[in-house]
Amino acid sequence: MEKYDLPLIKNEYDIVIVGAGPAGSLAAREASKRGASVLMIDRRKELGAPVRCGEGLGLKHVTNMGIKLSPQAISANINGARVIAPNLKDDIIIKTPETKGFVLDRKVFDKDLAKDAGRAGAEIAVKCEAYDVIKEGSAVKGIKYIFNGKKGEVKAKVVIAADGAESVIARLAGMRDATSTLYDTDYGFEYEMVNVKLQDNGQDYSDLIEIFFGREWAPRGYNWIFPKGPDSANVGVGIGGLEAPNAIHYLHKWMSADGVKHRFAKAVPVAYKGGAIPVGAPVKEFVMDGFMVVGTAAHQVDPIHGGGIGLAMNAGRIAGTVAAECVKDGKTNAPALNKYKEQWYNEEWKKFSKRLMLRKVLEKLSDDDLNHIISNLDQKDIDLTLAGDFKPVVQKVLLKRPQLLKVLTVLVNL
Amino acid sequence: MAVVIDRSKCIYCGACVATCPYLALRLKETYVEVIPEKCTECQLCIKACPVGCISLPGKDNESKR
Ligand SMILES: Cc1cc2nc3c(=O)[nH]c(=O)nc-3n(C[C@H](O)[C@H](O)[C@H](O)COP(=O)(O)OP(=O)(O)OC[C@H]3O[C@@H](n4cnc5c(N)ncnc54)[C@H](O)[C@@H]3O)c2cc1C
Ligand code: SF4
Ligand code: SF4
Repeated sequence: MEKYDLPLIKNEYDIVIVGAGPAGSLAAREASKRGASVLMIDRRKELGAPVRCGEGLGLKHVTNMGIKLSPQAISANINGARVIAPNLKDDIIIKTPETKGFVLDRKVFDKDLAKDAGRAGAEIAVKCEAYDVIKEGSAVKGIKYIFNGKKGEVKAKVVIAADGAESVIARLAGMRDATSTLYDTDYGFEYEMVNVKLQDNGQDYSDLIEIFFGREWAPRGYNWIFPKGPDSANVGVGIGGLEAPNAIHYLHKWMSADGVKHRFAKAVPVAYKGGAIPVGAPVKEFVMDGFMVVGTAAHQVDPIHGGGIGLAMNAGRIAGTVAAECVKDGKTNAPALNKYKEQWYNEEWKKFSKRLMLRKVLEKLSDDDLNHIISNLDQKDIDLTLAGDFKPVVQKVLLKRPQLLKVLTVLVNL
Repeated sequence: MAVVIDRSKCIYCGACVATCPYLALRLKETYVEVIPEKCTECQLCIKACPVGCISLPGKDNESKR
């Protein structure tokens, strides 16, 4: 009888992908589907774990990527969002097709995506860490890895860095701006908890994601309650990197505040999760000769809410497709691979750039402004804002703070 | 000298690794490796860490928790 052994990593592939998160798995799936030979490696012994994410994902991302979510990948179905003012009292509830979605179990979700890549033909190696990039002149030629205790080297026509916020691979390749700066990064910490009260004010919020703003609770970021079941939730915070002392300090401060503390009176953590969330502009270059960077490694994260799963999957999908086409054409230099960047900008930039600006505006608003806006908005204003018309909101803010006119003009002109 | 990470408190989230401009930190699966000769003691990682478990020995920068 033949003895089972782990599949060996070959010496060469068309495409080697570092990181089996949403970005890497989508890239692997799309490239494999197009006939490229693909190796995807991940440092983790179990894909998806440990989770460093609030796990919220809009339905549209799932639909657009052609993913069938397994029931185990869904912790809760979400119909809308509740945004709470810094006074922890006033709120608005938004329910639109855009706010439909899920709170995932990423341990299941990430693994499912990787399995799809494997089914499409990609080779996968877990517990395999890339520790260096092989370069010849300006071109990336492969990576050095350590797999189950053994060092090795693998060549590739295209290396795709999908290694998440750390983005070590792109930096080793020479992309300096893949470092997260304190200014443009939010740092997050969250507990997954049981015995969280998802009902408050006589209402049931268990099908909403709740987002709390306030300088006192989450300077340059927000606090959140994302339901994971009828009595469980991810309860977290993200703060701007320049804020001291640290994220967990603000989380505890907010969880102890009148107005929310009763919701955690009996809550106990079953997991700690955290990490860096780049919320500035994406890295300047997406490609080099023989090299692409995708997902959070490329700082492709929503500048307002810090969501990165959807953007990571789409970038992975585009990059995997382009990489496979370039391999087929025998041209994998930067100009050829740059079709990925062009396509990404076509699909994402209009919205992304607006949201970058909106972030700048939000930062200028004081807690008083936010209390004022949130307590005065009616459903009609919300609908208009969601449709992209910021005028009513701007007018309401201006009543209170005329000096904001200049900042807010930016919004109206988007 | 270089930063020291309290491994009993670290949640290996990688935030420090993302922030270190000198690649002096590497995320392993369940801990962060410090490469002392690359650390410039710029302390950016200390500010980044969401749980406050990085310190620079001899400096008064222990997190305020
Ligand atoms: C606290 C917090 C809350 C968040 N909440 C949300 C949310 O609610 N919704 C949302 O959409 N996004 C959220 N995000 C962002 C989201 O988690 C990321 O944007 C998303 O995971 C990015 O996917 P990715 O595939 O680019 O990278 P990742 O999911 O980070 O995957 C990278 C993979 O690469 C592997 N890897 C890294 N380095 C190496 C190496 N050298 N060798 C081999 N493998 C390597 C890692 O093990 C990992 O599996 C949150 C982030 C944080 C920190
Ligand atoms: S930022 Fe802090 S908790 Fe996260 S890996 Fe670094 S030392 Fe550990
Ligand atoms: S102190 Fe600076 S150089 Fe040293 S590990 Fe931290 S971020 Fe890197």
